[in-house]
Amino acid sequence: MQLLTALAVLATEEGAESGGGLSLILPPTSELIAGIIAFLIVFWFVGRRAMPMINRTLEARQQAITGQLSEAEEAKREAESLLADYRAQLADAKTEGNRIIEEARASGEQLKADIVARAEEEAASTLAKARDEAQSEKSRALAEARREVGEISVGLAERIVGGSLDGKMQQDLIDRYLADLEKL
Amino acid sequence: MATSECDVVNEVICAPANVNELFEFPTIFTIGGLEFSRTHILMLLAAFVTVAILYYGLRGQRLVPTKFGAAVEGMVDFVKDGIARDVIGPEGTKYVPYLMAMFFFLLVGNLFEITPLINFPITSRMAIPAFLALTTYVIFMFLGFAKNNFRYLIDTAWPKTVPIGLRWLVGLIEVFSIFILRPITLAVRLFANMVAGHLMLTLLLTSGLIFVAAIPEIGVKGTIGVFWFGLGLFMFLLEILIGVLQAYIFTLLTAIYIESSIHFEH
Repeated sequence: MQLLTALAVLATEEGAESGGGLSLILPPTSELIAGIIAFLIVFWFVGRRAMPMINRTLEARQQAITGQLSEAEEAKREAESLLADYRAQLADAKTEGNRIIEEARASGEQLKADIVARAEEEAASTLAKARDEAQSEKSRALAEARREVGEISVGLAERIVGGSLDGKMQQDLIDRYLADLEKL
Repeated sequence: MATSECDVVNEVICAPANVNELFEFPTIFTIGGLEFSRTHILMLLAAFVTVAILYYGLRGQRLVPTKFGAAVEGMVDFVKDGIARDVIGPEGTKYVPYLMAMFFFLLVGNLFEITPLINFPITSRMAIPAFLALTTYVIFMFLGFAKNNFRYLIDTAWPKTVPIGLRWLVGLIEVFSIFILRPITLAVRLFANMVAGHLMLTLLLTSGLIFVAAIPEIGVKGTIGVFWFGLGLFMFLLEILIGVLQAYIFTLLTAIYIESSIHFEH
């Protein structure tokens, strides 16, 4: 009940105060001034401070990203050149290795050929020496034999001659002997 | 809120003498015949809070922003790209400071409604919506005439793309809506939303508490207060959404009006 009276009082008072609703809509001058000053403070701050702050941050971020990108680009380029270097070095090393192997093989072959040649030469010289020695031994033995045969034959002949050796028989014997000797 | 002579002991509820008492505070001081109250102080406080939020959110050239900074930056980008660039186009850059100041100031002003200890949306006073709507009106009127001369008015009143029979009617409606209604609707939309929100919150939360407090006196009937209070809490959450939405709508419409004056084609 008290609530209702209060509401009734409120209603009559609203009616009495002409344009109670309108006074809510039309701004009092003092509030307009305060509102305008408040907005201008914000507007000034946004225009003079916030916008430069935003742009600076954006710029810094852009620069950082560009910087990082170019750094990455640089690093990539460096890595690539390094890789190329390593590849070249590897290729060089392979060629070098091949060359060394080739050289070794060549020198080995050369050595082998040399050894074989020397061995053959030695063999040939040994053979020749042996042959020479054999030849000289043979001729020496032959000369010895001839000398001894001569002596023996002379001794034998003397003995025969000392016995019954006529002139003609002796002569035949000597000739035959000499002929035989000639044949040796 | 101020109440007129009211015997708190005997009456269950002290009704304000006038609904304006929910929105008008007693004068604190007077300068040159102008009375200043809590409202005026709150308006200036809103300005400083807005500046502080922007300052702490944006200061330093942080490559990786803090959480708070990221939130402020998100809103800044939202106004800069989502409203200025998307609605107005490349020319929108010029209007970014105005739109940004408007959005952040209105956002803070609206959210004062649900800020503890403040609990009063400064945008529920006509001064701020009226001033901003008028500024927007001046801007888009100036642009309309500066970019299109008097074709702005003539082509609006006599739209050549409309069939001749309807042309006068459409022209009349267009002139009325663009030259007269736009600033009024812009201001009243924000103002009325905030007034309604503040009324609802005050009514539901205080009456809820009063009913609950009166349970020993009026018995079970007082439990309705629990329901009122619950509804008030729900409205509280809803008002956050409304506060953000109204700031966005005001800024977006400003951008749309500016765009329609720049790219005026009929």
